[in-house]
Amino acid sequence: MFLKFALKNIRAYTKRSLVTILLTTVSTALLIFSSGWMNGSHKTMIKSSVEVYPGYLQITNKDFRESPSFDHLIFESKQVAKILDTTPGISVFGRRFESFVLYSTGPRSIGGRFTGIEPDTEPFLSRLKSSLKKGHFLETTDTGQVYMGIELARKLGVGVGDQLSFIGTGADYSFAADTITVKGLFQTGLFDFDATSAFVNLDYFQDIMAGDNMATHFIVLPGDKDNVEQLARTIANRLGPEYQIVSWMQSMSGLVRAMEIDSIFGYLTLAIIFIVIFFVIMIYTWLAVFARIREIGILRGIGTSPRQIFQLLLTESVLLSLLSIVLGTLLGGTLSWYFSVHPITFSGYEEQFKQYGLVAAAMPTEFAPLTILRDAAIMLILSVGSTLYPILQVIRLPPIKAINHV
Amino acid sequence: MFKLICKISWASLKRRKTRSLMVILMISLSLWGLLFMEGIYDGMTEQMITNAIRSDCGDLTIYAKDYRLERKITQLIPDHRALKRRLDRDPRVRSTNTRILQDGLVATAHYSRNCLIIGISPKSEKKHGQLDNYLIAGHFDFGRRNNGAIIGAKLARKLKIGVGKKIILSAQDTQNEVSAISLKVRGLLRTNNMLFDEMAVLIDQNKAAQMLSTGKGISQISILLHDEQALEPLQKELQARQPRLAIFRWDEIYPALLQGRVMMKGFNMVTNLIVFCVAGLGIFGVMLVSIMERLREFGILLAVGTSFRQICWMVIGESLVLGSIGFMSGAVLGGTTLFYFHRQGLDLSLFSEGLETFGVDSITYALIRPEYFLYSLLAVILATLISVILPLRMLKKANPVEAIHTL
Repeated sequence: MFLKFALKNIRAYTKRSLVTILLTTVSTALLIFSSGWMNGSHKTMIKSSVEVYPGYLQITNKDFRESPSFDHLIFESKQVAKILDTTPGISVFGRRFESFVLYSTGPRSIGGRFTGIEPDTEPFLSRLKSSLKKGHFLETTDTGQVYMGIELARKLGVGVGDQLSFIGTGADYSFAADTITVKGLFQTGLFDFDATSAFVNLDYFQDIMAGDNMATHFIVLPGDKDNVEQLARTIANRLGPEYQIVSWMQSMSGLVRAMEIDSIFGYLTLAIIFIVIFFVIMIYTWLAVFARIREIGILRGIGTSPRQIFQLLLTESVLLSLLSIVLGTLLGGTLSWYFSVHPITFSGYEEQFKQYGLVAAAMPTEFAPLTILRDAAIMLILSVGSTLYPILQVIRLPPIKAINHV
Repeated sequence: MFKLICKISWASLKRRKTRSLMVILMISLSLWGLLFMEGIYDGMTEQMITNAIRSDCGDLTIYAKDYRLERKITQLIPDHRALKRRLDRDPRVRSTNTRILQDGLVATAHYSRNCLIIGISPKSEKKHGQLDNYLIAGHFDFGRRNNGAIIGAKLARKLKIGVGKKIILSAQDTQNEVSAISLKVRGLLRTNNMLFDEMAVLIDQNKAAQMLSTGKGISQISILLHDEQALEPLQKELQARQPRLAIFRWDEIYPALLQGRVMMKGFNMVTNLIVFCVAGLGIFGVMLVSIMERLREFGILLAVGTSFRQICWMVIGESLVLGSIGFMSGAVLGGTTLFYFHRQGLDLSLFSEGLETFGVDSITYALIRPEYFLYSLLAVILATLISVILPLRMLKKANPVEAIHTL
């Protein structure tokens, strides 16, 4: 019976119903799309930053992160590799040996990162190979060949085929220096990285740095990227306490926290918009309910209890909210889905993103049904909640006062 | 007449207290949130810009021509003393500062990293950008023999060193020779200018000149101005006078910060637009019902000789009173909150690691700009005025005089 009356009333007060439906639909769509946008853009930013170079999982000597000196290297890297070979859940892994040296071309000298990588596995672990701009990527047989960031090469004034020398400290703290030839130039888009990094074949690096069988860290690509923490625990159990296994969530915790605070400010802004919407729905419900105050007074006069009137008005509110939220969810969900397939590109802000270490300028939204359902539930509570005060006010009025209300 | 209209408007609003209060509450709460958001967001953006200006480039930076492109130590500003003296005499200039810059390598007993060697005069830096305010440990000087170095906090963290530790600096000098010096860390700086904190090794300017064989030349003159308005004219003037030098504004050196400022303005504008459009819808509903309920009342007023124009003013007055009270309470709430956070700062240390990634200070001091209130007032007035247009047209169509005869 309540449902029948409620539907009749909704149809009778078309304008109020339409405004409420419109506002709630737009708000729901806005919330769903904003959530999808924030989650999607954050995941893209993190994913692209992780995949450029740092990798999903890093294995180091247990003391290396705290004290990154050559005293805390992985000294038995081949043995570690053997264990990783038999560990389930690993797609690919590779060794790296990272150091800092002074590059010199005669008229110019610049300090920079000098890293030994395994040319056969590195293309699966980072975007170094796919960022090739000129020349060629490294090969496992290379000796004295360097794959260099385009900005570093520009600062040093070298191109593919040119020679330069480097001076650094070997793994045994001896003096390490050699002349190397530029084999290829890469551009990841991260200015700082491109301006400070150069890579050589790991075998050559170990040879020149007196670091046979040594590595600063391993990078692991998990089979299932959503299960990184689980894989980290498995590897930790297999390798023992001498090693530290850190997932991207820890190694890039700054970026993860930054995304969190961005979400907080995003939801804060949405909250301000929702406060206004909450009040507008409340005002419209108030106006609609008080427009029918004489009708409600008569209903009370012929014996309808306040509880029944509350149920009737609440049914109206729930029906209106449900209809709007279904519409809003469809609209917001469609937008989220569409922009997850066709990402929004911020070509004008690409430079700004890169300055903060973020490579991707195309930001897809996230289409996650569970998040959409959560947002729809929040909107339902908000929408029905905003009508409670006017409903409670009107049922408190004595019938005679309600009938005579002007 | 104006007084009478105000009186009638006030009386009408008082008659329907709850709904009037709801509108006032809606406007004031949304305005409170908007003001807070604008002040904090602008505070964050401006702090980032200020950090970059104070720690590095000033409002204007002078380099030798092509230095920014090639960054060679040989690209020095000749005769900088005369130029500096001339700039110091310019009434638009607040202060000037000189630096020697060179890329190098900083090493500890166990670890090494690339760095930016910056030769400074602590006295001048204190006066110019108050760089000493960014000191988080140690002293802002280089010790009695000038054998000290002040380094960026992030660089220190990466090198795992603190105050008192020894570092070796190596870099190429103007003669293409690699020279190295040993220094002790005297202090750590955190400016939240990411590049500075990750790369900077500050050493005594004379020591830098000696190490890099720069003689009397310097790499950079940074200029702080009294008024940002003088930025472009002075840049053009200096460039015309010094064709052999390159003069950059801070936003040319840090374009991302300018983009951030523009993006934040756009974001605030869109949020304001959405909020005031929705708020306008709320006012519209209240005014529409208020007019339709009082058709007979308006009919009687017209019958006793009140013109339709006067009735329009009554309705507009009612709507404006609602908007004004909402604006005033929102402005007081928002203004007080902003004032509090302007003085005390909003402590976001809980997220300091994340904020550091973007070069944002963990304590953000809100900005209070008169235009926040002015634009909000205009938006509220506009929303209230627009929201009564349709109800007034409906009132005209409804023919209130005939409404007197209805029940």
